[in-house]
Amino acid sequence: MPGRSDKDHELIKQAQRGDKHAFGELYEIHAPVIYRYLFAHLDNSMDAEDLTGEVFLKAWQSLPKYIERGVPFLAFLFRIAHNVLVDHYRQNNRLEPKSSDDMDSYKEDGCAEPVDLIGSQMEHQQILKVLSKLRTDYQSVLTLRFISELSPEETAQVMNRSAGAIRVLQHRALRALRDEMDRTG
Amino acid sequence: MKKDRRISQIIDVSTPALTSGMETVDSILEKYPQYAPELRPRLEAVLWLTDAKKNLEPPQGFIISSRACMEIQLEAIQPQGFWYRLLKRYTPQRWVFNVAAPIVLVLLLALIINSLVLTARLSIPGESLYSTKILLENLQLALTFDQAKKTDLYIQYSRERTTEFVELVLEGDYEVLPTAAARSESEIIAYLHSINKLKNQNLTEELPKKAELKETLSNEIYILNILKGSSPPTAYPGIELAIQAAQSGLFALH
Repeated sequence: MPGRSDKDHELIKQAQRGDKHAFGELYEIHAPVIYRYLFAHLDNSMDAEDLTGEVFLKAWQSLPKYIERGVPFLAFLFRIAHNVLVDHYRQNNRLEPKSSDDMDSYKEDGCAEPVDLIGSQMEHQQILKVLSKLRTDYQSVLTLRFISELSPEETAQVMNRSAGAIRVLQHRALRALRDEMDRTG
Repeated sequence: MKKDRRISQIIDVSTPALTSGMETVDSILEKYPQYAPELRPRLEAVLWLTDAKKNLEPPQGFIISSRACMEIQLEAIQPQGFWYRLLKRYTPQRWVFNVAAPIVLVLLLALIINSLVLTARLSIPGESLYSTKILLENLQLALTFDQAKKTDLYIQYSRERTTEFVELVLEGDYEVLPTAAARSESEIIAYLHSINKLKNQNLTEELPKKAELKETLSNEIYILNILKGSSPPTAYPGIELAIQAAQSGLFALH
């Protein structure tokens, strides 16, 4: 995404001076990516919405601490998102996202979901089920590269690895995903 | 490894076209038939992830509406600067501060007191910290309850006064000499009193202490006479006073 970091840089400077609208701009640019990353690890969209807000509120609070030293703002957000996810799992007494079997609980809860929303939820649970069977680093690299659409370099910064290591990891993760797709059907 | 890297490159290059629908898995494989067995499963996985991504998109209008809500929330939450985190309760910075601050303060205080005591101990009459030195000596005497040890302290302070006296003469502070001589005299008198107390307590240490004082006073007289020989006449009255004090001490011992 060319020019993204230049725009980010200007908006971050304004936000650090307390400009809430500039931070709102940053939110509008990056929230969809963060939302997708979170939703790929969570079992419902409500949690993903709440946690997206939480990530940005924490980013706002930590903004005076943020100094651009080659780490893009998106990498900063992803690190917060990762911590928020860990806290969320801890609070819910689980280390892994729900499996698709938990989908039954929605029906038992009697949530009046529209039919298409339930269909979408079923697909989402299927995605979670397949992804959750993979190694954690495979999940991270695939989510960041293909769902959050980060470049290998950006993914490397988020995961604290070299771009070369990310390419190797992606190569293996894609193969593992394909095998898991076969197994899950 | 080279092959793996080439496959990764093909995937990186082909992913945008594959996800936008401009290419299919088969059309890409036709371009790289030599890599087809390894490339196919990976491209299918990429395609699956692209489909998954569509299911993970935020609901329509969510970003715009939540941005407005967030900007309202930001009004109430200020960015947390270093001092804010330090002063706020239950933050790691505050905890570290709470632990570190008393330790640093105690260490700092100990360092200051130590430097002060050291500087005071090296001071001579006429200097600002000299009264602190005398105070510390008096304090040490007050806290020493063993008469023999107290007598030792008196002889130590008497030698200290002689050293100060020599320093004063060498530095040319002749106007302070009479005061220093008077202080030296009072140390000798205190020492003599202390020896008398030892005598009253029938302690066997009386004779060695007397011999020690005699030796100290003789040395003092010797040093002061040398000083007198090498000093200008303006220093004579002060040095004479000190010599007289030492001689009186010797006389009192006899």
